[in-house]
Amino acid sequence: MRVLFIFFYLLSPAAISADNFEILRNDVEGFAKVAPGKHFDFPADHGPHSDYRIEWWYLTANLKDQQGRHWGIQWTLFRNALSAEPAKQGWSNNQLWMAHAAITTPRGHQFEERFARGGIGQAGVNLEPQFEAWIDDWIWQSETKSLFPAQLKFRIADREIDMQLSSEASWVLHGDAGYSQKSEQGQASYYYSQPEIQIAGTINGQPLSGRAWLDREWSSQPLAENQLGWDWFSLHLNDGNKLMLYRLRHKQGKHWLSGSWVDADGNTRHLHSEAIQLSEKDFRQIKTSDNDEIILPLGWQINLPELNRQLIVKPLYDQQWMATSFPYWEGVVLVDDENGVRVGEGYMELTGYQSP
Amino acid sequence: MQANLVWVLKAVFSHYWRHGWQTLFLLVGLIAGVGLWSGVQIINQQARLSYEQADSLLGVQASYWIRSRTDKAIEVADYISLRRAGFRQIFPVVEAQVSTEQGQPISIIATDLFALPNNLQVGDEDDTAADWLSFVQPPYRAWVPGELANELKLETGDQLLLRDGRRLPPALIKNHSQQGRQILMDIAASFELLNRETFSYLVVGNIEAGQISQLETLLPDRMELVENQQHLDLRELTESLHTHLSAMSLLSFAVGLFIVFNAVRFSLWYRRATFLSLRLMGVSASLLLSAVLIETLLWSLIGAGAGIVVGLQIGKVLLPGLGASLHSLYDATVDTQLIWQFDTLFKAWGITLLGLFWALTWPLYQQLRRNSLPANLISRVSLDERRSRHYLALSSSALIILSVILYPRIDNAISGFLLLGLILFGAAWLLPTLLAFTLRLLSGLTSKSQLVTRWLIGDGWTQLPALRTAMMALLLAMTANLGVGTLVDSFRSAFVGWLEVRQSADIYLRASQIDYERLLDPQKSSVWLADSHRRIGLTSRWQGRPALIRGVDTLAPDSLQLPLAQWSEETAESTLKVWQTEKNTLLANEQVHYLAGIRLNQTIQLKTDQGPVDYRVIGFFYDYGNPNYQFYLPYDEVVSYWKQYHPRGVALWLNNNDTITLQLAQQAMRDAGAETGDWILQNQVRKLSLNIFERTFTITAAMNALTMIVAAIALLASLLAILQERLPQFAQWRALGVRSQEQMLIIACPILIFVFVAWLLAIPLGALLSWILIHKLNIVSFGWSMPMRWDILPAIQLGGVILLVVAATLMLANWQLRRRMPNALAQLGELA
Repeated sequence: MRVLFIFFYLLSPAAISADNFEILRNDVEGFAKVAPGKHFDFPADHGPHSDYRIEWWYLTANLKDQQGRHWGIQWTLFRNALSAEPAKQGWSNNQLWMAHAAITTPRGHQFEERFARGGIGQAGVNLEPQFEAWIDDWIWQSETKSLFPAQLKFRIADREIDMQLSSEASWVLHGDAGYSQKSEQGQASYYYSQPEIQIAGTINGQPLSGRAWLDREWSSQPLAENQLGWDWFSLHLNDGNKLMLYRLRHKQGKHWLSGSWVDADGNTRHLHSEAIQLSEKDFRQIKTSDNDEIILPLGWQINLPELNRQLIVKPLYDQQWMATSFPYWEGVVLVDDENGVRVGEGYMELTGYQSP
Repeated sequence: MQANLVWVLKAVFSHYWRHGWQTLFLLVGLIAGVGLWSGVQIINQQARLSYEQADSLLGVQASYWIRSRTDKAIEVADYISLRRAGFRQIFPVVEAQVSTEQGQPISIIATDLFALPNNLQVGDEDDTAADWLSFVQPPYRAWVPGELANELKLETGDQLLLRDGRRLPPALIKNHSQQGRQILMDIAASFELLNRETFSYLVVGNIEAGQISQLETLLPDRMELVENQQHLDLRELTESLHTHLSAMSLLSFAVGLFIVFNAVRFSLWYRRATFLSLRLMGVSASLLLSAVLIETLLWSLIGAGAGIVVGLQIGKVLLPGLGASLHSLYDATVDTQLIWQFDTLFKAWGITLLGLFWALTWPLYQQLRRNSLPANLISRVSLDERRSRHYLALSSSALIILSVILYPRIDNAISGFLLLGLILFGAAWLLPTLLAFTLRLLSGLTSKSQLVTRWLIGDGWTQLPALRTAMMALLLAMTANLGVGTLVDSFRSAFVGWLEVRQSADIYLRASQIDYERLLDPQKSSVWLADSHRRIGLTSRWQGRPALIRGVDTLAPDSLQLPLAQWSEETAESTLKVWQTEKNTLLANEQVHYLAGIRLNQTIQLKTDQGPVDYRVIGFFYDYGNPNYQFYLPYDEVVSYWKQYHPRGVALWLNNNDTITLQLAQQAMRDAGAETGDWILQNQVRKLSLNIFERTFTITAAMNALTMIVAAIALLASLLAILQERLPQFAQWRALGVRSQEQMLIIACPILIFVFVAWLLAIPLGALLSWILIHKLNIVSFGWSMPMRWDILPAIQLGGVILLVVAATLMLANWQLRRRMPNALAQLGELA
């Protein structure tokens, strides 16, 4: 579950009004619907599904330099269909692309946001002759039709990021075999991941390596009306286990929780709402701009009773705010066990705490 | 001390409560003066701000442009490869001119808002997501600025019909910064509308110095990187225009100040007794002066504050017209939304304070320095009047001598306007002496037995002090009116004559992709085509300014008739012959002569692709309205020396002036690849040019009219002051049996004499003003000359208007007199 709401705010540099929301909500008509029982077909499903309204290719990576210091990168390409008509080539194409990239360095966090329209070659995702996802000069280029092995190249301000990605692991299908339900009203998406990616390369010539996580998700339905935002985690544990979990916050009543536990052998266990206990442990005040501040829950406790695991999640540092069109917190987190022993690392995303 | 001050202030201010009319006039004078001055100041400021952001689109400023060297447009693939090379500050633009059904030209500008480097942080606060969504999706939206929408009578959702039957996307009435008069739409919408798939050019936003060379190496040979110097050019090109406007606004301010002088003179007169009483009651001169200083400060605050409010309104009314003119003349985009700057308020307050200090505080200070007031007030006033007339006449002589010294030294607009100021004020300050001279002359001519006439003249002496400033204001306003009127008429007649010769072709065709060989093939075209003129050109820089180098056919009909202002050979014809036959000769526009100081037969150097080449300038041609330097060279010369020239269209002369020939021509143009809208007919071109001309002078006409209104108010204010001052005297006349008509005659005659003298003086002064405007200011400011056309008719018309104003003012004064007379008579009775 990632920045599903993002496109709703995309076209609104000014404050979005209730009317605009209504327009966007009505536009859902005519798009393909997400339904259980889909058979995933790779590498075809790595490509765009332009009959669905929203889709993303979302990569996060925890890296270390030669001194053992933590670094992180986020590289995300979003696709949004402005209308339900089939996508045409050329300038009348109805696909809009957006990309976010960020790096977390020992010295600080930097991010950038980009936009492009589809159909003209400025941005897109191709499977032929090999997988390629790009916007301007930010590019993920694979050697094959599949996603790996691949090169990821992008630049944020004066930092040039050049990484090699590889993975042999099998794909993780979240929820019910890739059908990921988001609310009791039936909102859902198709959602699969690759949590086991080896990543190595350079940032401005400095060698770095680590583990990366890719999320692929597409849907046509927005969140339910009573959902405010979400808290999302992708964690690599040192014992080889991986955990994805999210909480959709409701205005009233019980929040919607879901997750996946992937063991070292690649076996996936779906975590239902009851199997997850997620609680805020530490609230911090961070700057969202030169003049504004916000209080966010940056320290968390995760209990998984069925697996008998207790994890404490805290940020590498607080200031990893993405002041993009739709602002959110996304950054490197460290994971301790209940005794305070470091057991892993990962990424955390918190949205809906500040309106754009 | 403080209590005393309050008490003195009450006494000083009581005058304004008692004489409501005069208070009103003081306010009107201040507000009108400050309003007109600040209105122009605000629009000048707005225009200058807009130049700074020249060529910014939705908040992104162009630092460079990428253009095609061959006039073929930019391919989408070339643009995408630059973006994929990491040049995110580059975005595409389509610009096009289309015509409405009625033939009005419309500028269209289109871009891809998702490609703008400012990450959609564009637009205004009131843009909604729905606006943006509809902008980028079929059927798209045409964002039409409010002013243009009004002109075109467009409502939201209307689809403007073009001359060729196409329709713009549904309109959304919206003003965005730097949109000016352009209609903004999405690139996709423009491709659909214009049936094209290429960009006009690419804009390079903010770029680091290190990236420029990298970008240059990436560009294919067919594209070039051009630095945006437009904001600098615009500043320089339009400077003179803004100086002209500022000068006119200062004149209005001066006329406004005359009203203030008048009201202040009245307040001085009336408060002499008050001041004397206050002094006798032991109020110190310094305390009295403090009270007057506070009064000055208060009036200045009220005048500046209210004047600015009026100025903003004037700015709002005048700005769209000025914006349209700047767009047509200089291709400058001026925001029609006023930007308020605080320093305008402070400046307005500053000049008001200065003006008031001069008008109110200084004379009062002078008065207070006298320890006592003379017993015989009337004789003292008469003495004062004569003395101040002499001072004015002396100052006037000084100004006139100064203007004679300055005249040969005029080399820019500011010194030119200084000269005009000296002459105008020199003449205005001489006026009271001339009026006195007239009265003296008339009394000399009147025999002793003509009692009524002598009484009339005698009353003229009484009225003179009160009417002096009003007459000076009227003289200034009439002179400006006549002078500017002659300038505009001369320009109009020169321009119309010039248009007839320059635009003699029947059709002007300009399109990016035309098969000229096919169009002009003598075999096929002989049925409809009598003659043609294919032109090419390029924009270069010469002496730090944009210069247009044109390659023309020296034997084409319009070249043979090129109207020359100066020529090197015996006749203009023989000069054109030399140009046709002799290599390395060229014709330049007058601007090259006047602004760059190049003389006939002087050799100038042009930078060509083969290196610098020397040319002898053998003639200067009239080139009205062109802010740039322009050189005419033979077609082949341009082809051989420059690689990057662009086609500048073709002019076509038809065999016959009938519909069938026109239809044949239109078919031939279509066959050669032109589309409807690519060509324009002669009468449309002329109409368009004249429209631009008329619009340019709208603001001048408006300022002229406003100045006249202010002068009329000055006259009214003076008359009412006279009535107020002389009411007891008039009451005595009535008591002696003078009838009200007779009384009005006695008041009116001297006024009519004064107005007549001022009007007579305004005629030669107006002619002098226009002579200087045409032969000095116009040349140093814009670089073109024209013959002056003077006519007596406008002076007669103006005389008629002034008579009407005087009649109306007298009627109002008469009404006031009738209203107040019973009371005055009653007071007379009490006094008796």
